[in-house]
Amino acid sequence: MTATSARPGTRSNDRAESFAGSPDDPRVQLDRDLGVFEPVPPYPPRTEREAEFYTLRDGEMFINMGPQHPSTHGVLRVVLKLDGEKVVDLDPVLGYLHRGVEKLCENADYHQAICYLDPLEYVSSLFCEWPGVMAFEKLLDVQVPRRAEYIRVLSAELNRVASHALFLGWMALDLGGLTPILWSFIERDEIVDMLASLTGQRMLFNYFRIGGVNGDLNHEFLSRLGDWMSRATEQIEAGNTLLNENEIFVRRMRGLGQIDSKTALRMAMSGPNLRATGVPFDVRRAHPYSVYPELDFDIPTRDEGDCLARYLLRMDEIKQSLRIIDQCLHQMPDGPIMAKLPRLLRPRPGRAYAGIEGPRGQYAAYVISDGTDQPFRMRIHDPSFIHLQAVGVMMPGHLVADTMAVMASLDPIMGGVDK
Amino acid sequence: MDRALKTRLERRFAEQLTGPVRQRHDETEIRIGPGGVTQVITALHDEPDLRFEFLADLAGVDTGEVMQVVYHLWSTTTSDWLRVIADGLSRDDPRVPSVTFMWKGAEWMEREAYDMFGITFEGNRDLRRIYLPPDYQSFPLRKDFFLPDDAARSPGGGVRPMERTHTPRNAPTTATVRRVGA
Amino acid sequence: MALTKDPDRLGTGPDDATGIGSDIEGQPALPAVRPSDALTTPIVVPNSLWQAADPTAYDGGRPTDITHLAEFEASGAGRRDDARWSGVLEVIPTKADYVLDLIRMNSLWPLLSGLACCAIEMMSTATSKNDMDRWGMFPFRASPRQADVLIVAGTLTTKMAGPLVRLWEQMPEPKWCVAMGDCTCSGGRYKRSYSTVEGIDRVMPVDVYVPGCPPRPEGLIYGMMKLQQLVKDRRGHWPERAIGPTVPEQV
Repeated sequence: MTATSARPGTRSNDRAESFAGSPDDPRVQLDRDLGVFEPVPPYPPRTEREAEFYTLRDGEMFINMGPQHPSTHGVLRVVLKLDGEKVVDLDPVLGYLHRGVEKLCENADYHQAICYLDPLEYVSSLFCEWPGVMAFEKLLDVQVPRRAEYIRVLSAELNRVASHALFLGWMALDLGGLTPILWSFIERDEIVDMLASLTGQRMLFNYFRIGGVNGDLNHEFLSRLGDWMSRATEQIEAGNTLLNENEIFVRRMRGLGQIDSKTALRMAMSGPNLRATGVPFDVRRAHPYSVYPELDFDIPTRDEGDCLARYLLRMDEIKQSLRIIDQCLHQMPDGPIMAKLPRLLRPRPGRAYAGIEGPRGQYAAYVISDGTDQPFRMRIHDPSFIHLQAVGVMMPGHLVADTMAVMASLDPIMGGVDK
Repeated sequence: MDRALKTRLERRFAEQLTGPVRQRHDETEIRIGPGGVTQVITALHDEPDLRFEFLADLAGVDTGEVMQVVYHLWSTTTSDWLRVIADGLSRDDPRVPSVTFMWKGAEWMEREAYDMFGITFEGNRDLRRIYLPPDYQSFPLRKDFFLPDDAARSPGGGVRPMERTHTPRNAPTTATVRRVGA
Repeated sequence: MALTKDPDRLGTGPDDATGIGSDIEGQPALPAVRPSDALTTPIVVPNSLWQAADPTAYDGGRPTDITHLAEFEASGAGRRDDARWSGVLEVIPTKADYVLDLIRMNSLWPLLSGLACCAIEMMSTATSKNDMDRWGMFPFRASPRQADVLIVAGTLTTKMAGPLVRLWEQMPEPKWCVAMGDCTCSGGRYKRSYSTVEGIDRVMPVDVYVPGCPPRPEGLIYGMMKLQQLVKDRRGHWPERAIGPTVPEQV
């Protein structure tokens, strides 16, 4: 019985129409009656890609991984086209967290715009504030004091470690391991309490200011940091060994979601996802900013381009971040933590672009100023948004259960994806 | 600030540039018309002394008078960010060639520019809305879109009549669209 | 109840007005002297029964088949102070209601519905350092059919409002809702945006509001404990929830 229904790409041999009137009539309100909630859009396809995706060949079906799903990336909806258990194609639907940040920034002061940038990639808030603040400083032609730069690097690298620790937990959680997420959150809670003693907030720190940072290092922060640094390496190693020596984890991840360097560059990827394919592009070395030229660290790169490579690369990056934090502490100069700026900021009319290396890739801000105290256009470039396109390139041929694993290995944060 | 880059660009793209090559801090900026996008981007990507292979950002801009599409590129040959501004798109029907032939990752960035501004990228295979629901009527980041516009018609914007969406106190009227010269 | 300005009493004893929640029936309102102007005039929502936005939901509002429940409601006996669920069934002795309430409040199973930043703090509350499992809330159910509590953590956008309300309607009763974070309470820092819902109580009934951006894990735990208290105090009349905070007129 292969009855087709009026909507393209669907079959209706499993509808309750065939039960109507029979004793098996379930008498529930069908989704069809409450309003269409099928993966297929309710209008005819408008673009080439939509037509290509929403036409089913023989034996294929759609499955909707809805905006609410057990994987913890946030509200992402993925429509999967399956052939049995294998994914043939997928169409991510975004926008379930679109908060209109760019428009809100246009109606706010320069100082207020910084606090709109925090919740974009909420696990690495300092990296979200940084390019915005750098772009404003370029427009104001203001020089940030060296101590402030060092504090920025220090707090940002701590945030990078926390973000990668969370990546580790979510990666394992999406593959079914329930222990590493708890260990990750212990790690993250320690770091975030440290940053709370520095910035005042556990999460959306709102710490960077135009011209510097908000508060100087204090005793509590330094004592917590010293205490944590003495234990950090072993804690992280423990988490790593738990997973690296786990045969199931390694065998599932090896060869999954492979992407080669040419394709990665064509997909405009950056950050650990690009470095895992062999391209040693790191904004801290390619286009140095802040005090990174004075710090000594390596850029880990791997060749395979699969999930395992991305995971191992991020673990290597944690070690490099610890190195940077160590050097920052030793080389911390004295001085002011904020440049002297007028209270009402009116930058010169013009355009400024600032890109930094965040834990997910290149974060950037492009600011157009028209000489008033509100930005004219505040464009935020987010790496997670770009990387989600790559899922469509990586997934076909793999199984449904690996969809979340591939997505977890790209480490997207939906706040940044949807802005 | 890479002076050599400036001379190279001026020499190579003499007829496509619609303005001088500007440099400030670590950014170099060139302006081209929408018709020259394909040629310029291909040249920037392929030529051995330019090799701008990394697309850092693709943004739409509404200046109040015209629309622009701004590309940010990075190359191993220079220490500057290169900003390519495709200037002079009309605000009524902005069209510009797509760069998805070069970078497939630009597809979603162009979808976002379409969603926010209404800029049509010719050659993009998937030009539909990405952030907003597919039946949304307005383009939010345009300068003539004021905040409570479509929000009042949205499903979340007030189930019961006593709830109104919040109108900002200093919401501008249509007459006071902000315009910027450049 | 002591309202002394005694500096030795810090206002944390059982008698102090500040230590008693104003949402408990029978307690007088907290005295708050504030000059009233346009900004501080509260939006007072009458304490009315919630109605679903879609008139065809919940069987289209048709009268129930359980007729003695309708008579019970009409007689008003259910609103008496000592009334319990068993007034209807008359087979279970009264004490069992207390046990039912204890059972429900001590194993509230939340739905995994983290939307944005507050979800990270919710996960932090659920993990080792601030353990929500101490109060029975560890299993974050993926399916709404198995969940008791919907902790909405993160900004609700207009695109997500539909799926979220669908999730809420799929949850079987008894169910409660916790609005975690400023964005769900009132729209938060995105109140002026074109695509956010200014507070989830526009689309679904809320039991507990936990403000903060994001609220600390201890704050969420406090909110969940308030919810537990609420479960116990409502004595089974869980659908009778007001939209918006129950603030007396004078405040």
